[in-house]
Amino acid sequence: MKTAHLYRFLLPALSLLLVDCSSTEATPTAKPAAKLTASEATDSLDDYAVVEASDPLEGLNRATFKLNDGIYNYLFRPVAKGYELVTPKPMRQGIDNVYENAKFPVRFVNSGLQGKFKRAGQEAQKFGVNTFAGFGGLIKQSDRIPSLAEVPAEDTAQTLAKWRIGKGPYLVLPVLGPSTVRDAVGLAGDYALNPVNWGFALRGDADDFAWIPSTGNTVRQLPTQLSKYDEAKANSVDPYLSVRSTYFQNRKAVEED
Amino acid sequence: MNRHYITALLFVLVALVGQAAEFTADAEKYLRSTVDEVLSVADRASDRHTLADKVRPILLRRVSFDAMTRRAVGPGWRQFTPDQQKKATQLFATLVIRTYSNKFTPGEKPVVSYKAALSPASGRVDVPTGLVYKGSRYSVTYRMEQEGGWKITDVVIEGVSMIANYRTQLDAQFKKGGAHAVLTSLEQSVSHPS
Repeated sequence: MKTAHLYRFLLPALSLLLVDCSSTEATPTAKPAAKLTASEATDSLDDYAVVEASDPLEGLNRATFKLNDGIYNYLFRPVAKGYELVTPKPMRQGIDNVYENAKFPVRFVNSGLQGKFKRAGQEAQKFGVNTFAGFGGLIKQSDRIPSLAEVPAEDTAQTLAKWRIGKGPYLVLPVLGPSTVRDAVGLAGDYALNPVNWGFALRGDADDFAWIPSTGNTVRQLPTQLSKYDEAKANSVDPYLSVRSTYFQNRKAVEED
Repeated sequence: MNRHYITALLFVLVALVGQAAEFTADAEKYLRSTVDEVLSVADRASDRHTLADKVRPILLRRVSFDAMTRRAVGPGWRQFTPDQQKKATQLFATLVIRTYSNKFTPGEKPVVSYKAALSPASGRVDVPTGLVYKGSRYSVTYRMEQEGGWKITDVVIEGVSMIANYRTQLDAQFKKGGAHAVLTSLEQSVSHPS
């Protein structure tokens, strides 16, 4: 009974954000050769720089990382397993589509705030097509339209990056996972812009049904997020460093795009 | 006189561009056959373990584990003895093969689309691909280098380079305890069940 209570408290507000970009298609660009000194490079084509992260809080971060690992394994994994057990795959895909479609304001507003007006227009078209021709977003019809199939998703953290706000130190957030000080602010922005959370945020009392949409949003993301987390951890030499490197590299690609 | 000069220059340019295009096309062709081979094997495998076993010989032929290991270790590589280098390469190859084959679930077939290849440096070609797998889209860029034939030297998934990721980890190990620490840590993760 007690754990049920805990879930109810935790789940509406939270979603893991390890590498939340499965719907993004980053356009890979040729990396400019990183500035490596001769003693750092192992051969003429080696352009892998070693230093990529500012992590002055490493001690604290490692502790939070360990705590999160426990939460994921003992609290979230059973929920994810249960969800996968009771919903067939096509249904999960449909649920994902509906939630991603509803998240439209996050992508639309942030495209606009970054001056990417063409992208904002594409997002609006996508939302229109999927909502009206895709039964409220259940079917992602926009995937069949070449000009709308690969629009990179913008988020608030990208907007802050675009505005040249420094990312600050690396920060492992409790439950939510890897972030930076700036990206944590971006996360709050995304949360506020997502209509799915509006009911809960505005009337967050546990007696009405406002918690349902946001809880659903968290639960439906768990299987994918956990498998991404597992993948960043699997076969690593130091899981903490692997997840950190994954986070920084991925965010860099997303911001540049 | 002047005109001849320009014509000659144009010819040279066209020839150069043509050669570069052939160069990247060659790398792309090579990548396609590798990916096709892996996918057909992955499709027929019954479970993850047989999948890794079957993918292994293909990757050993088509991937430069020498370059991968050297760069994953980074500056410390020069202080490895030849024996240590050999051992590190063997361990790292096993780790990479496992990482790569773990990304496939037998029975789920990814759809791969190829985009225009780039050549950011001579002897190197990046082939960006798009992958639709289990209903999600991913960008996967293969880095290939000329090494007596084309070899894959890195895989960049959603902006995350596998080699850069290991470099962060292994460089930290090297700074902690030199070649010995790197080898021990590699041994540990190889012996861990995945």
